[in-house]
Amino acid sequence: MFNNKFIFCLTFFLAVFNGAAQDCKLNISGQVIDEGTGLPLSYVNVLIREISNGTNTDDTGNFSFNNICEGEYHLIFSHIGCDSKEFHFDLLEDTFLNVILTHTSTSLEGVVIQGKKDNQNNQPNSSVNRQAIEDNTNQNLAGLLENQEGVHLIKNGSGISKPVVHGLYGNRLTILNNGIAQSGQQWGNDHSPEIDPFSADKIIVLKGANAIEFGSGNLGAVVLVEPKKIGREPHLHGQINYAYETNGRGNSLNARLERYTSLFAWRVNGTLKKYGDRKTASYFLNNTGLEEANLSFQLEKSWDEKVFFDFYASTFNTRLGVLRGSHIGNLTDLDQALNREIPFFTEPTFSYKIEAPKQHVSHHLVKFKTKYYYDESQTFDFVVAGQLNNRKEFDVRRSGRTDIPALHIAQTTSNIELKYTQQLKSEWKLKVGNQQIITDNTNNPETGILPLIPDYFSYKAGQFATVSKRLKNIDFNFGIRYDYELQNVVTISRGIESEIIRYKNQFHNINGLVSTKFDISKAQSISWNIGYATRNPGINELYSNGLHQGVSGIEEGDINLNTETALKNTLEYKWTPNANFSFNTLLYHQLFNDYIFLNPQDEIRQTIRGFFPVFTYEQSNATIYGLDISAQFTIRRSLFGLLKYSYLKGTNTEEDLPLVFMPPNNVYGSIVYRAEKLITLNSIQLEDTEIELNNKYVFSQNNLLASQDFVLPPSAYNLLGLKLSTNLISSHYKIRCFVEANNLFNVAYRDYLNRQRYFADDIGLSLTFGINYKF
Amino acid sequence: MSPNATLLHLHFIFAHKLTLNKNIMNKNLVALSLILLTSLLFTNCEKDDPEIPNEEELITSLSYQLSPIGGGDIITLSFQDLDGDGGDSPLITGGTLSANQSYVGSLDLMNEAGETPINILLEVVEEAEEHQVFFESNLSTVNITYGDEDANNFPLGVMTTLTTGAPDSGTLTIILRHEPNKSAAGVSEGDITNAGGETDIQVTFPIDVQ
Repeated sequence: MFNNKFIFCLTFFLAVFNGAAQDCKLNISGQVIDEGTGLPLSYVNVLIREISNGTNTDDTGNFSFNNICEGEYHLIFSHIGCDSKEFHFDLLEDTFLNVILTHTSTSLEGVVIQGKKDNQNNQPNSSVNRQAIEDNTNQNLAGLLENQEGVHLIKNGSGISKPVVHGLYGNRLTILNNGIAQSGQQWGNDHSPEIDPFSADKIIVLKGANAIEFGSGNLGAVVLVEPKKIGREPHLHGQINYAYETNGRGNSLNARLERYTSLFAWRVNGTLKKYGDRKTASYFLNNTGLEEANLSFQLEKSWDEKVFFDFYASTFNTRLGVLRGSHIGNLTDLDQALNREIPFFTEPTFSYKIEAPKQHVSHHLVKFKTKYYYDESQTFDFVVAGQLNNRKEFDVRRSGRTDIPALHIAQTTSNIELKYTQQLKSEWKLKVGNQQIITDNTNNPETGILPLIPDYFSYKAGQFATVSKRLKNIDFNFGIRYDYELQNVVTISRGIESEIIRYKNQFHNINGLVSTKFDISKAQSISWNIGYATRNPGINELYSNGLHQGVSGIEEGDINLNTETALKNTLEYKWTPNANFSFNTLLYHQLFNDYIFLNPQDEIRQTIRGFFPVFTYEQSNATIYGLDISAQFTIRRSLFGLLKYSYLKGTNTEEDLPLVFMPPNNVYGSIVYRAEKLITLNSIQLEDTEIELNNKYVFSQNNLLASQDFVLPPSAYNLLGLKLSTNLISSHYKIRCFVEANNLFNVAYRDYLNRQRYFADDIGLSLTFGINYKF
Repeated sequence: MSPNATLLHLHFIFAHKLTLNKNIMNKNLVALSLILLTSLLFTNCEKDDPEIPNEEELITSLSYQLSPIGGGDIITLSFQDLDGDGGDSPLITGGTLSANQSYVGSLDLMNEAGETPINILLEVVEEAEEHQVFFESNLSTVNITYGDEDANNFPLGVMTTLTTGAPDSGTLTIILRHEPNKSAAGVSEGDITNAGGETDIQVTFPIDVQ
């Protein structure tokens, strides 16, 4: 097959002549041909990485580089709409390359890429690429997604954050790490997804109606965290990223190594982070440091271009401090804390110390995936994965109990998945699959506190089928999914004599999706997406029982909750009239029946610690609708602009009340100046030098009644940022450097979705210095 | 191109578009049956009975004993909530104090939820530096002064002196704070305003001064 032929061609030179092999007088030239048509391909970008010299193929598919030194080089070929491909070779003499690009299904790697594209084709989505991940070494997963349209963050201080897409989060948002639904205590607003973004090459947010094949429960959005395939590189390659952030005096270090050998291909990725106390515009946020150590290992092997095997293992370990001043007792304490300018326990000095209240969380994942190409039109994917999530939360307690976790839950999850894909006649594509997830959640009784979330065992089995068809200018996609869920729950009752009460629940969920994309012209396209989904109540919604220390409220589940249903419609319009302007608008509307939410009750419950508000999970009908707009434009040759606006409104339609905890509207704009030429400083050259000025304005959340929260939502705020980045190139190395300033004017502000807002301001001015070295 | 050249062929694979192939429908059945097979992996799993955590940290009962200086009946204000947070409402017993009288006040804290009651007061005394009891009354004539100290000479509040004035009726609130800032302004005089920390106990008793 092709790949074999490719290796053959690489190893045997067809013609070798003695050349004038003097230093730096060699030529590399070649021609790129489209295999399918046999015609030359123009506008293929060809880059020699070592000397950062690039060119495009001309009308006859030819390219050439002159006066190149003898040595080892990597050539990078890229073509519109495709991931770039990199190839390594030794340059000894003048060399002519016959490059053949194929567009056929015999390209097995191609199918993989194509497969992903196809499913997301009609789905509105946005993504973060590897460059952005490297340029934000200091960010966690949610932080990387912050500036994507329609994405917001729920935070609990600066270290803990989780993504919110179109107002939905937690149980309603699926995060897939490496194709595996992330398990753990995703229900908690003060729980971050335990994923190292550095293990990924791309993070994609699918915002359309639910993506059928990614599991049930996602009522509208899916976040995919994906590494790329290991390149066919015989040499050891890798990169090191390091960033220092002034605010928090944080250090982040990441290293990645990978190699392709004839036996197998492997990649190792490791990240270390250490942060101390963050600082607002004027005071330290004590006990907000974090420590993180992550490692992942990936191994790929293929047999006869028929069977592809992929093994992935990762471990994520973190310790997170929670602002000491946000740890309070009863309503009176809360009231006092709310009325303070500066939180209690604020110290004038910086520290790396992490004390209670804090979280220790580890998450381990092992995945085996096999992809089997039965024949040229049929493929099977078989995945087995296991996850272990261990969460400990420590509170300030009496008599040395501070060292005993106040919450300690271990959760194991097993995933088994089989998918079958078939290319049918006339561009029809069928995909069917079965997914099973077994979850075992166990509290450790060492806490000495009755658990907030009970022990449970759950079994989920889902079947799905999707059909897609590509016509001339219309893409069509139809999907249906059925899920069965069994929950075996063991609760402990509160009372003088605690009793064990068992519950067994069975649920049936249905998802359906229809989407179409219509290319009006080359410059315009419109896509419409409609999805129906049901989601059974989660364990926390059914059985929560007790004091949620972080929110200083008593939370109670309701065992009589029904399955909630949602109908989501999205309409996306894209317009790219020319290379200098593009415009994208996405309208969405989601209708909920029996939307489950935590509703504050009139009851104030008396305990020996004083009075606490009571929150109960209730159901109501609701709507969430909104708009994401973005426009990109070229102002002048090297000056680019970007403008984004997000609007969202959530309403409890049954009681005619606003939905609480919905993201406020915001506007984001940036201007980038990119130096067109290399800048030369002595022997060092600066390539791709960029200066970016960005501004984010977040409106106050006005869609809320004063009675719906302890305090009024914070006022609007405006944050200005500046970023400089460049590649330093000398004859021996290439290093990417960046300096970034966030909250340039050191504004004191509070964000509605940051739960720490009750107690303290958000982060003030912060400078980040980063370097990236690849070899 | 120079005649002295090396020729090198690269076959490149780019995904634009998939061309379609032959030989289709007959294998569908194989695929579907495989998928159904995996769904048989289902095993019914029950959870074991969990070990019920021993809530030894819980405080269920507070009593504040007032012994009149110079003799007389001991008055006890008590709060009891045996089932902890939630469940039944707590039982609160107020008291009637004599006017213009001084009392020696002593506090008692218990966890009576388990079979053997646990004396919580001992834990508080052991960590006297990290605790302070505050007393607040809406009657200006009722005054409470501290009668004990921690190792740093700041008050703890387990032993107190309470004095009454003219007859009246109102409330007395007892608050136990964990990790208060004892050196903050007014805190060692019993003013809770700048104390911070978190509240372990906050109970209010009705009192009559006769």
